Amino acid sequence: MALKGLDIFKLSPKKNCKECGCPTCMAFCMKVAQGALELSKCPYFAPDAVAKLSEATAPPMKTLEFGTGANAHKLGGETVLFRHEKTLVNQNLFAATLCSCMTPEEIDAKIAEIKKVDYERIGARMYVEALFCSYVGNGVDKYVELVKKAVAADRAIILECWDVEAAKAALEVCKDQKPILDGCTLENWEAMNAVATEAGVTLGLYAENLSDLHDLVEKLEAAGNKNLVLDCTGKTAKETLANAVLVRRTALKDGDRSFGYPSIVNLARIAKGDSRLQTAYATMFVEKYGSIIVMENMSYAQALPLYGLRQNIFTDPQKPMKVEATIYPINGADENAPCCLTVDFALTYFLVSGELERSNCPVNLLITDASGMSVLTAWAAGKLSSSSIKKFFEENDIENKIKSRTLIIPGKVAVMKGEIQEKLPNWHVVVGPLEAVQLPKYIKDKEYAGAVEAAKAEAAARAAAATPAEEVKELSFEELLETKVPKIEVVDMGVRYKGHNPEAKTFVTIGERIHCISPAIRKAMDERDPAPILKRAAEQIAAGATYLDVNIGPAEKDGPERMMWAVKLLQENFNNVPLALDTANKKAIEAGIKVYNRSNGKPIVNSADAGSRISYIDLAAANDAICIALCSADGIAKDNEERMKHCHNMLERGLSLGMTSDDLWFDPLFLVVKGMQDKQMDVLNAIKLFADEGLKSTGGLSNNSNGAPKNVRPIMDSALVAMAMMQGLTSAIVNPCDLRLMETIKSCDIFKDHVLYSDSYLDL
Amino acid sequence: MSFAPKTQAFNAKINAVTLGTGDKAVVLGGQNVLPFYSFDAAIENAPKIGVEITDTAKEWTAPGLTEFYAGCETMADFAKKAETMEGADFLVLHFESADPNGANRSVEDCVADAKAVAEAVTMPIAIMGCKNVEKDSELFAKISEALQGKNIVVLSAREENYKTVGASAALAYGQKVGAETADDINLAKQLNIMMKGVGVAADSIVMNIGTAAVGYGYEYVASTLDRVRAAALAQSDADLQMPIIAPVSADTWGVKESVATEEDAPEWGNQEERAIGMEISTAAANLTGGADAVIMRHPAAIATIKKFITELV
Repeated sequence: MALKGLDIFKLSPKKNCKECGCPTCMAFCMKVAQGALELSKCPYFAPDAVAKLSEATAPPMKTLEFGTGANAHKLGGETVLFRHEKTLVNQNLFAATLCSCMTPEEIDAKIAEIKKVDYERIGARMYVEALFCSYVGNGVDKYVELVKKAVAADRAIILECWDVEAAKAALEVCKDQKPILDGCTLENWEAMNAVATEAGVTLGLYAENLSDLHDLVEKLEAAGNKNLVLDCTGKTAKETLANAVLVRRTALKDGDRSFGYPSIVNLARIAKGDSRLQTAYATMFVEKYGSIIVMENMSYAQALPLYGLRQNIFTDPQKPMKVEATIYPINGADENAPCCLTVDFALTYFLVSGELERSNCPVNLLITDASGMSVLTAWAAGKLSSSSIKKFFEENDIENKIKSRTLIIPGKVAVMKGEIQEKLPNWHVVVGPLEAVQLPKYIKDKEYAGAVEAAKAEAAARAAAATPAEEVKELSFEELLETKVPKIEVVDMGVRYKGHNPEAKTFVTIGERIHCISPAIRKAMDERDPAPILKRAAEQIAAGATYLDVNIGPAEKDGPERMMWAVKLLQENFNNVPLALDTANKKAIEAGIKVYNRSNGKPIVNSADAGSRISYIDLAAANDAICIALCSADGIAKDNEERMKHCHNMLERGLSLGMTSDDLWFDPLFLVVKGMQDKQMDVLNAIKLFADEGLKSTGGLSNNSNGAPKNVRPIMDSALVAMAMMQGLTSAIVNPCDLRLMETIKSCDIFKDHVLYSDSYLDL
Repeated sequence: MSFAPKTQAFNAKINAVTLGTGDKAVVLGGQNVLPFYSFDAAIENAPKIGVEITDTAKEWTAPGLTEFYAGCETMADFAKKAETMEGADFLVLHFESADPNGANRSVEDCVADAKAVAEAVTMPIAIMGCKNVEKDSELFAKISEALQGKNIVVLSAREENYKTVGASAALAYGQKVGAETADDINLAKQLNIMMKGVGVAADSIVMNIGTAAVGYGYEYVASTLDRVRAAALAQSDADLQMPIIAPVSADTWGVKESVATEEDAPEWGNQEERAIGMEISTAAANLTGGADAVIMRHPAAIATIKKFITELV
C-alpha cells in the first residue's frame, strides 16, 4: 500500500492551476497515489510537505509476502482492529507442524494426513497453507531431510530453528520457496539476520516478553531489516493472547510501527496433544490477531469449523458475500427433483438451503448470479431478470442436466412469472412462498403441484393455439411511439409546475415517489393507467419538487414504449416538468430522451456507476443529458479514497466524451444509519471532497433513515440534509411530500445565500 | 527505549446478573474490559457454561451423549446427571417440542418437567422456549410461576412478546429475562429500552444478540458482538451493558458438519468429533466476542471450553 491520494491532497497547494495537466489538484494527487504521475510534476509542493509525505503515510502494519507460486501468501496489512470498522484484509494462514524428531516414515505419513484436508468452500480452497518445520537440535542432517520433504509437499514453509548452522543448511534447500525463518532472538539476532538477509527470506522474531521483543525489532530495523514477523507465542494461552492483542493494538491504535508486523501464534506449543483445545484457541486467534496459526495437525473436525469461521470473519462487511451460481442438489436430489430458484446472496443461500434441507424432500436449488444482492434488491436493480435467468439456464445447461420441469420462483418476485415463463417455455413456472421458513411445508406438502398442473394446461393451450411465429422486427423509436404508446390525455390536476432555471444555485430536489418498487405504481406502469402516476406526480410538484424521478422497473420487454409513455404523460400534464429517467434498460432511457422536452432542464440519466453501469455515462454524453454517477463499483466503496477514485474515473470518462463537469452529479451513496452508523461521516466528508473540486452531488438521502419509525424519519432526513448542504450537497433524491425536509432545504438555501430572504420564504 | 503497553480498562462495565440461589448461584458479567483482556484489568467473573437438555434428549444419538446420559429417562434424570458434568455452571431446559408446528407438547407437561428438575437439582436453571412467540409467552409465564424463588432466566423475550414475558417472568415472579434479537445492534438496544419501559430492571435482563454456527454467516454475530461491547464499554451505553448468553448448541448440532453421517461424507471422518469441533469453535468464537455465558451440549466440548475459559481468565 503506497501513499493515499487524500493524504497527499491535504498537503497539496490546492491551486487547481492545471500546470501538471490534471484538471484539479485532487485529480493530480489521485494519480500520484496510483503511481501514474510523479510528485515532482507539481512545482508548488512545499519541500517539507514532500518529506512529511513519505514519513507520515507509511502504513501502520506491513504487508509481507512469503512462499512462491501457488503457495505465495500475503500477511498483515491490516488497518483496523475490528472488521466492522472497515474490513480485515489478509486472512490468517494455518500451518501444521513437522519436527526433526520424526522418522522419515512418520514425516511422510503426517504430510499425507495434512494433505487430506483440501476442499472448496464458497469459491475458495480450504487447506493447510504452510508446514511449520521445527528443529529440535538433533542434527543438521535430520533437519535438512525434513525440510526437503516439506519442499516436496508443495506447501509454503516456515522454519522454526534457533540454530544458525541448521538454519543456513535448511535455507540451502528451501530458500527458493521463500520460507519464513522463525528463530531470531536477542541472543542470536546478528547471525540470524545475516542468514535471513543473505537468503532473502522473512525473519521471525521471538523474545521472552513484549519489552524484549520491541527491543529486538528496533535492533533489526536499525540493521536495515524490515522483513519481519513476530512470534507472539507465550508460555500460556493467556500470555499468547495478551501478546497478540497488545502487538496489534500498539501498532494500529498507538501508531508504534515497531509492532506493525504480522504475528505467529504456535498452538502446538501451548496446547500440545489436545486437538480440541487447539480448535478453541485457533478460533480465538482467527478473530484476535494471529496472522499465522500453527496447529499440531489439521483434521476435518478442526478444519470444517475453523475455515468456515475464517471465511466469515474475513469477508468484507461492505461487500455482499456471494455463493457460486450453479445447481445445488439438496437431500440427494436427482434430475427428477423439482427446482427452486433464488439469488446468490450468501445469506439467502444459507437460509433457503437450510429450510429446503428441513423439508427432507429432494429439491434442486438453482442459484443464479445476482451480484450478491437479496431477491427484491436484485430485481429492482435489474440483476435478477428473466434474461439473467435464461442466461443462467443456458450457461449451466440446465435443460439437459435436469429432467423435472417444475421451476419454483421466490414469492417476492411473483411479478416475474410471466416473463420467465415466456423465456423458458418448456418449464412450468410456479410462484413459491414469500418467506424461506414457509418452504419446508410448501415442499413437503407439494403445495406447488396445483400450480404446476395449471402451468401445464396453459402450455398445452399455448401449443394448441400457436400460429406460425411471425418474424419479429425491431421497431424504431418513431414506430414504437406511433404504434405502442397510448395517446396522452391531459387531465387538470389543479397543479402547475412552476418551471426551473438550470442556472440557479438553489438545491435541486428529485422526487422519488414514482418508483416501481411500489405495487400501485408497478401496476399502473404495466397497465398504462395514468391516474395513480399523475396523482403522485401532482403531490410531489405541489410540494415543490424540482425534478421527478421516473423508475419504470427493470422493464426488460417493453422498456422503450413504457418510458416514452411515462415521459410524455408527465411532461404534457405538468408543463414539461424535468425528469430523471431511472431504469436498468438503457434503450428505455434513450427512448425517453427522444420524446423529452428540455424547456425546464436537461433530462437526468439515473444512474451510472464506476462498475458495470459505467456506460450510462456514454449514454448521457451522447444524448446531452445530466448523469447521476454513483461512486461505487461492485458494492459500497470502502472509504473515501475509493469513492474519489471512482469519482475521477467517471469524471474523466465524461469529460473525454465532451460532457461538462456540471452535468455529472456525483452520488456518494447515502448509507442506512441502522447498520452503518459509523460510516455516516465518511459520506458527508465525500460530499465536501466533491464540493472542493467544484463538482455537483446528489443521492438517495432518505436511505439513511430506512427502517426507522415513520415519525423519526423526517427528523433524521432533515438533520442530514442540513449537514450535507453545509458540506456542499447540491441535490438529493427525496420524498418532497416530507414537509419538514422541504422546509429545512428551503431554510438552508437561505443561509447559503442562494435565495433572497423574505418572511414568506417557506411558501415560495 | 523500553516498551510499556498502554492498558485499556473502561469506566463503564457490564452489569453483573445473578442466576440461581445459594452456593450454586452464578454471576454473569461484571467486567470492564474486552473479553479475556486480563492484561487491561482483571476479569471480574469468568464466563459460564450452561448445559442444554432438550425435551427430546432421549433421541440424541451421538455416542458420547448417550453414554454420558445412559439410563436417564425423564428430564429430571438428565438434569441431575448434567449437574455432574465437568465444566457445568447452570442447566438449560430446552422445550423444543412445545412448538405448535411440531409435537405441540402442552404447557402443563413442560411445567411439570421444569418443576421436577427444580426439585432434583441445585444448579441455576435457564429455560429455552420453542421460538413460537405465543407459546413461549405462555410457557415462560407458567414456568416462572412454578419456579418462583429459584431465580431462573427465561430465553427469550422478543420484539413481539417482550411485554407479556417481561410482565410475567420478571415483574410478577421475579425471574431474569433474556432479550433476543437477530444480529441487529439497534434493535438490541431498542428491545432493552422497551423492556425497561415496562418496568423490568436493567439487572434482570440478559441478551441474546443473535446466533449462528461458525461458517454460517457468523460474521454478522461477530461484528454485532464487537459493536455491542464497544457501545457498552467505550460509549458507556447503559442500554447495552446487559450480559450476553449465547445458545451455541441449538445451532451447531443442526448444521451439515454435525449432521452428515460417515456414509454421507466418508472423507470428513468421525461424525461425533465433527459435531464437537463445531460446538467448541462456535462457543469459543462467542466467548472471544463477548458472550458471558454459552449454552452447550456435549460433555467433551464442554470440558474443552471450560479449560479454555480457565486458561484465559
